Amino acid sequence: MRLDIEKILNNIEKVMIGKRNVAELSLVALLAEGHVLLEDVPGVGKTMMVRALAKSVNAKFKRIQFTPDLLPSDVTGISIYNPKDMEFQFRPGPLMGNIILADEINRTSPKTQSALLEGMEEGSVTIDGVTHILQKPFFVMATQNPIEYEGTFALPEAQLDRFLLKMKMGYPEIGEEMEVLNRAQKVPPIEDLTPVIDLEGLRAIQTEIKEVYVDSSVKRYIVDIAYGTRHHGSVYLGASPRGSIALMKAAQAYSFMRGRDYVLPDDIQYLAPFVFAHRIILKSEAKFEGITAEEVISRVIARVPVPVQRLVN
Amino acid sequence: MRNQAGERGKTSMQLYAIAFFMLWEWLRPIGKVTETSYLGVFIVFIALSFAGGYFQINKGLKVTIKLLYILGSVYNFYYSGGFFHFNWWNLFFTDLSKNAGFIGSGDWTALSDPFRTILFFTLLWLMVYLLQYWLLNRQRIFVFFLMTIIYITVLDTFTPYNAKWAIVRTVLAGFTVMGILTFSRIINKENVGKDSTSRRKWMIPLAVMLFLSGFVGMIAPKAAPVWPDPVPFLTSLNNKSGDEGNSGGIARIGYGTNDSRLGGPFIPDNSVVFTANTESSHYWKVESKEVYTGKGWTSPRKEARELFNKDEEVPFGRFPGDIKTEKEKVELNMNLLYNHIVYPYGTVKINAGKNVSFEADPVLEKIYSYMPNREPYRATQYSMDVEVPEYKVSALRSITGDEQTVLSPEFMARYTQLPNSLPSRVKRLAQEITAGKENWWDKANAIEDYFDLPDFTYDQKKVAVPGKKDDYVDQFLFKTKRGYCDNFSSSMTVMLRTLGIPARWVKGYAQGEFQKYDSENSNRQVFEVTNNNAHSWVEVYFPGQGWIPFEPTKGFDNSIKLNYEINSHSTNKSEAAPVTIQKKTPKNRLEEMEKNTVKSKAVKKEETALKKATVFIQMQWLKVLLGFLAIGILAYLLYNIRYRWLPHYFIFLFKWRKNDTQFAKAYMVLLKQLERYGLKRRDDQTLRSYAKYVDSFFTSNEMGRLTNRYEQMIYNNSLPKGSWNENRELWENLIKKTIA
Repeated sequence: MRLDIEKILNNIEKVMIGKRNVAELSLVALLAEGHVLLEDVPGVGKTMMVRALAKSVNAKFKRIQFTPDLLPSDVTGISIYNPKDMEFQFRPGPLMGNIILADEINRTSPKTQSALLEGMEEGSVTIDGVTHILQKPFFVMATQNPIEYEGTFALPEAQLDRFLLKMKMGYPEIGEEMEVLNRAQKVPPIEDLTPVIDLEGLRAIQTEIKEVYVDSSVKRYIVDIAYGTRHHGSVYLGASPRGSIALMKAAQAYSFMRGRDYVLPDDIQYLAPFVFAHRIILKSEAKFEGITAEEVISRVIARVPVPVQRLVN
Repeated sequence: MRNQAGERGKTSMQLYAIAFFMLWEWLRPIGKVTETSYLGVFIVFIALSFAGGYFQINKGLKVTIKLLYILGSVYNFYYSGGFFHFNWWNLFFTDLSKNAGFIGSGDWTALSDPFRTILFFTLLWLMVYLLQYWLLNRQRIFVFFLMTIIYITVLDTFTPYNAKWAIVRTVLAGFTVMGILTFSRIINKENVGKDSTSRRKWMIPLAVMLFLSGFVGMIAPKAAPVWPDPVPFLTSLNNKSGDEGNSGGIARIGYGTNDSRLGGPFIPDNSVVFTANTESSHYWKVESKEVYTGKGWTSPRKEARELFNKDEEVPFGRFPGDIKTEKEKVELNMNLLYNHIVYPYGTVKINAGKNVSFEADPVLEKIYSYMPNREPYRATQYSMDVEVPEYKVSALRSITGDEQTVLSPEFMARYTQLPNSLPSRVKRLAQEITAGKENWWDKANAIEDYFDLPDFTYDQKKVAVPGKKDDYVDQFLFKTKRGYCDNFSSSMTVMLRTLGIPARWVKGYAQGEFQKYDSENSNRQVFEVTNNNAHSWVEVYFPGQGWIPFEPTKGFDNSIKLNYEINSHSTNKSEAAPVTIQKKTPKNRLEEMEKNTVKSKAVKKEETALKKATVFIQMQWLKVLLGFLAIGILAYLLYNIRYRWLPHYFIFLFKWRKNDTQFAKAYMVLLKQLERYGLKRRDDQTLRSYAKYVDSFFTSNEMGRLTNRYEQMIYNNSLPKGSWNENRELWENLIKKTIA
């Protein structure tokens, strides 16, 4: 199974140059049955990345481009009257896929946002009183543009909490970008990607990941870090217990990906900024000083001692 | 660059100089407080050591010079013959090995002087090393400075050493050195280039402040001490009365000759002085003293000694003819040997063996035994013919002091002598007590009884030492009312003298403890007299009757035979049955004391061990102090270089442990050891990244491999069987790397 994961990553690397860590983290979210919020400017390959991922696991890929006038039904689907049958017929929206790219999620109205987020959280959508269960795996990769604020609706905290990880794509390095140009001259390679695993296999991995062992000393470490964010001087609102659960699940998936069946403090340290950064609110003073949530989290990590001995009960 | 080096040299020279002066302060009082002499040699030694450090002489050369210096000094002090002569080396090494044995057996007092000197040199060597370490490596001196201050103040308080200027010197030196060190620490920390202006900016205010504060401290008025000066108490404690010719009067009970300064507590001593085989109980007299000085008793008058042998009578102490006596033979077996004779009242003849002759000092009434060749003889056994007197109370009562004419004025002056400094209230008290008593007998008894009042307490421990202005007797009678035999007997003697009754102060032993009846003759009793029985009492002179002992001390009882002549009206004098009664009702104080000491054997043993330890510490306190200091320094050094020897210990320890759970312990030991080695793991550093760091340092992969297994163990809760055995090799290699 780990071979499968390696194959997926290699597959993605065929089209995405030099973004292995982003690919890895996306895969972590997918495997941990979470969702990802990508925060970056347009044109750095977010779509490419998700499409590659979807192709690799042979998933149904849908893309929603959020605009201010997008309606919830445009996302979830709508019942339309069919004069022939004399009854309403449900036409599924783009949400009824396996891997969904929700582009520029902060551009649309809160109403539409919440329709998407409900689906992400519940795994189902309710339309006209009928509940439609979404297919599994169900993985949303939402993007948001941090540069433009005009005419955007920032996601509220409670909704940011729905995302397992938040990360940045970043620009490629010079050599990498040249390679991107080289490839762009030919046919887009994405068309040539072949699936390396089917959805059934993916689900099996998801089940297996839940078995990855988390020692109580490591659990304690997670809790200590979460606790640290709640009591840090620059933090207005710290990470919630849901955040702690998210960190543990992400760490399980990450350990699995790294070929281990147990979680190390190293995993926690690596993942904590991605899991916690969007779950805490900084005080305004801290924001004015230019402190970022990631910085706060790394400071918290620097203060929490790593467990190096078994927890004595 | 050159300039900088010069600057550093200047600073470190100042540091070395100050360190030298501070260590010198430690040596200064030693000459005063102990019997150490030639302190200059030791001071030169520390100067030499510091100089060696400052000029950064080659290590081997340094050690050689110091060793040679030590050997040379020891040779100079204690040995003669050429330095390179085989003879003294031989002696020296035998001495060393002998002393090593003493150290092994903890027999500290047996250590010889040369060895002690060497130990002292070693201690100084260590101190110099430590000081250099503190000053140049740690750049911290506060602990040493504080210790110096404590040392000096303690010595100033508890010994005769006067540390007024030592304190000033130390404070100035200490603060200067701390100022310099702080400066250089700040310079290092902030990574500022040293230049002389910043130095001057720091040093000048420092010097001014130190000078001013020192000056103000000197001239400022100081509060009087809260406690009285403990020095007299301690000096007296240090002088044991068991030794002859000591200047103090307190400490260990037992017989001693010097009583010029009385007061202070004493330590009980159970050693047996002699056993006596007698028909009745006796007080054992050794000598008497005439002159009361206000602090104690002396006997400066000298008279020719009278010689006599075993067939001749003792030249003093005979009773006038009209006193009835009973003959008795007393045998003594001495345990502690003296060349003076311990004798009961009424001793007529002494027999200590054929050739032993005696000399009597008529002033002290002290008898010495001699061999025919005039060598002092320490008799182990002697017998005495004693005539036990029986006094007629009526005769005693008839003396009212009008008979003074009978006694020569010289005699009266001698035995009613009192120092001018004696407060007059002593006399007033004596008059008060004896008011209404007509004759000397009643007066003496009244005073004797006065001490039975519950106001007075018998105590051996909480006993005051008279200060410079105090009178020993006055202090006891009016202030403390707490003391032992010397207090009671001196007070009674002095009070009698204020009344014009001739009296003197007598020393010896009380009856001792009754042991058993003699197995051969059940009339005879065996008494055991220990140092605890050492005693003093009072003798009063009754014209026509002689010197009669009185016992004012609470809890003691000296029964003399008295004839109250109940049938004195009877015409037949010889028929008159004399009623012999004890002069005093027996007190049970002594018995109580005994009861307390009997208890259970275990308790007693413990107590004696404790007492022994206390006595040892009191007698050898400086050595004990130095010993602790040496141990402390040794422990500190061992602690400082623990990263060198601990691994060996751990490797040894874990070699024999087979249990896999030991792996966790071993790994933690390794982490600690690596930390001591200098590879510290930050708290937030995971084991994996730390292992990478360690491996990159040692250019190996062992830490990574070991850590991987440890991670399995603690984060995966899986411990494969035999894993410790597999991992031990990795672990040992890593530990060894830290020693290499």
